[in-house]
Amino acid sequence: MGTQVKDVVIKSDAPSALLLDKHADYIAAYGSKKDDYEYTLSEYLRMSGIYWGLTVMDLMGQLTRMNQQEISDFIKSCQHDCGGVSASIGHDPHVLYTLSAVQILSLYDNVNVLDVDKVVEYVRGLQQEDGSFAGDKWGEIDTRFSFCAVATLALLGRLDAINVDKAVEFVLSCMNFDGGFGCRPGSESHAGQIYCCTGFLSIAGQLHQVNADLLGWWLCERQLPSGGLNGRPEKLPDVCYSWWVLASLKIIGRIHWIDKSKLRSFILACQDEETGGFADRPGDMVDPFHTLFGVAGLSLLGEGQIKDVNPVLCMPEDVLERLGLHPDLLS
Amino acid sequence: MAESEEEDVLVQRVVKDINNAFKRNPNIDEIGLILCPEARYNRSPIVLVENKLGVESWCVKFLLPYVHNKLLLYRQRKQWLDREALVDITCTLLLLNSDFTTAWNVRKELLQCGALNPERDLYLGKLALTKFPKSPETWIHRRWVLQQVLRECSPPSSDRKEQCDSGLRDAAERTLLSEHLHRVLHDEMKVCAAAASRYPSNYNAWSHRIWVLQNMAQGNLKVLHDELSSMREWVSMHVSDHSGFHYRQFLLKALVRELSQSMHHHHAPWPSLGSSSPRSPSPDTQPGHPHHQANGEATAAAPCPSPATPEDQSSVPAMPQLFHQEMELCTDLIQSFPGHETLWCHRRHVFYLWHHWRRDHDHHDGQGCGSESPQLNHTDAGLSSYPHTASPRGVGIDRVDSRNGQAQEGQNAMEVDGVGVPDPRNTKRLKRGPPDPCPPALPSEHGFIARVLEGCRSPEQGCFALAYRKWLDSVIGQ
Repeated sequence: MGTQVKDVVIKSDAPSALLLDKHADYIAAYGSKKDDYEYTLSEYLRMSGIYWGLTVMDLMGQLTRMNQQEISDFIKSCQHDCGGVSASIGHDPHVLYTLSAVQILSLYDNVNVLDVDKVVEYVRGLQQEDGSFAGDKWGEIDTRFSFCAVATLALLGRLDAINVDKAVEFVLSCMNFDGGFGCRPGSESHAGQIYCCTGFLSIAGQLHQVNADLLGWWLCERQLPSGGLNGRPEKLPDVCYSWWVLASLKIIGRIHWIDKSKLRSFILACQDEETGGFADRPGDMVDPFHTLFGVAGLSLLGEGQIKDVNPVLCMPEDVLERLGLHPDLLS
Repeated sequence: MAESEEEDVLVQRVVKDINNAFKRNPNIDEIGLILCPEARYNRSPIVLVENKLGVESWCVKFLLPYVHNKLLLYRQRKQWLDREALVDITCTLLLLNSDFTTAWNVRKELLQCGALNPERDLYLGKLALTKFPKSPETWIHRRWVLQQVLRECSPPSSDRKEQCDSGLRDAAERTLLSEHLHRVLHDEMKVCAAAASRYPSNYNAWSHRIWVLQNMAQGNLKVLHDELSSMREWVSMHVSDHSGFHYRQFLLKALVRELSQSMHHHHAPWPSLGSSSPRSPSPDTQPGHPHHQANGEATAAAPCPSPATPEDQSSVPAMPQLFHQEMELCTDLIQSFPGHETLWCHRRHVFYLWHHWRRDHDHHDGQGCGSESPQLNHTDAGLSSYPHTASPRGVGIDRVDSRNGQAQEGQNAMEVDGVGVPDPRNTKRLKRGPPDPCPPALPSEHGFIARVLEGCRSPEQGCFALAYRKWLDSVIGQ
């Protein structure tokens, strides 16, 4: 009698073909019923939600189906006096949504919808003495915010506004014995934080500080028998980890350490053939978040029908090409 | 969008009902949604049974958008709300949607101007966590509130301008404050434990727990050791909970740091709060507890609830004993619950910590700490008892050669459960308890792996054992 390893079993009738058209239809129609209770519940992250939707549409070559003017107007009304951007109108500003806003406007090559200098000032003001970044004026520290800060500034070509060396020092202080990273020094390694920290180090030009073999090993141990990836030991697989883990592996040059075809099967099985979109695991409810990371994961795996995605910024490579941004990757 | 007047009246009544429920029963300890698709008999959807508060689901689709939009109108200065209304509305909102950051921020402002008590927000957060045990924004807000509490209780710092604060707090007041912090600390431990039990491997709950110790119990050996003891049973019943075991790794690491600090008179200065940290991931050179403030100021020594006394210190077992106990626990669980990756990960981490502690102790011995009473450095005294690992040839993790240099592979193979020969010079140690435990060493670990593989009937267990062996070989070295 063996133990039950935490994993899913992919049914034989699970989707195995890529249904891009259905996903595009799903995203295009999402949020059209703005009175929906679910929509209100998630308004606190709306800017990121828009970024997820637009990015996946762009990766599928369908960005034109979205309303650029409406979105640009919306973003403009979300920038506050302090320079930071909020998730939605009337909400408080935060670095998470500042990044999402800048990413969206970069897709449209229209960052000047925002007062860019004020954005830079806002981000600069979030850096602490020890190099870490707060998320907003209330002071929560997390390596996610270090990533948001440098990614925002990199997209605006203003990385010089912060103390990069100090920022690097703080992120490295969050490196653990297993090669991974947590949210603060002493915190548990977590695939999402690892993505943020490796992405950060890439932008900061400090990837050589990562122990690529050790971290790569931890990351490829995330792959389960079903082919899916989890975020930490003994957690269930989740399609968003196809992004956090896979992108991290790509950044540190170890993507070949996982079984690509098994992962691809898992991601495809997370599609919903009726509604379009991807869920966290086969059979669950879909949402735009998992839809982006499913498609982006497939792109990293070399899916021909999807545009190349940049593993550091999770944006189409052609957008970064236009901006002249080429964050480091280890080979 | 025009709302029907009926809906307006209904929703306002519901908001009032919720807040009256709290006034009627200050001991509400859990909130939840009651699946009830239709209103019945014109009754309130708010149900209070003993200490449980329920909201019937039919009203939520009216209730949430109403209070949500009302708060945003206030935030955009399109509609005024007085303090009491703000308190009520944000309370309702956060019980329905605890990740609504802006609502928590409104409460921060109310707290700052004295319209809200920090305890109320800690209570509201605790309730929200019964329904949403992972809620990131709830934990984040909690940390901010605790920082306010700490600030209120901390000793006067250089940037306090009020004269009345300068050194006039007498001993009695300081004791009261210290007791208060002690209670707050223990309440936090309980809230974290409850949330951890509600959701497996709850990263946010456990990382909060670590934050609390880092910020409210620095250097407190008693608290660290008590936590280690009290968590033993919990992790034994949650063998898949990777975060729970990581918490033990954090405690061990903190104990290593504190015990070393207290034992050595001449030690390398520990990194001060907020200072730079070396790049090595080695546990002993990790920075101390970074103490972050919104405006970047590093506080002076933060208040510590009931600081460890010398008695506390000697009642905490020495590191070798702690490592031995931890490895024993790990062994028991691995054998009782085959095929759990978490347990093998824990073993890696504990072994790694022990390995580096040993290496650093050898290193310190070589740096003229000889004036120290030898019984405090077991490696100095008991060299012949313990096999030393070879010079590491691992993957770059180990950079310091062991003091003795050469390998003693397999020559002094010792059972993990065996007992080492106590050194006669370690009289102080003997007074504390049983003879020195034998620390885990590479040969004994390989022996353990072999035994597991031999008796193993679970394919997963076999895989994890082999992965552990591979890890030992490549990361620790032959």
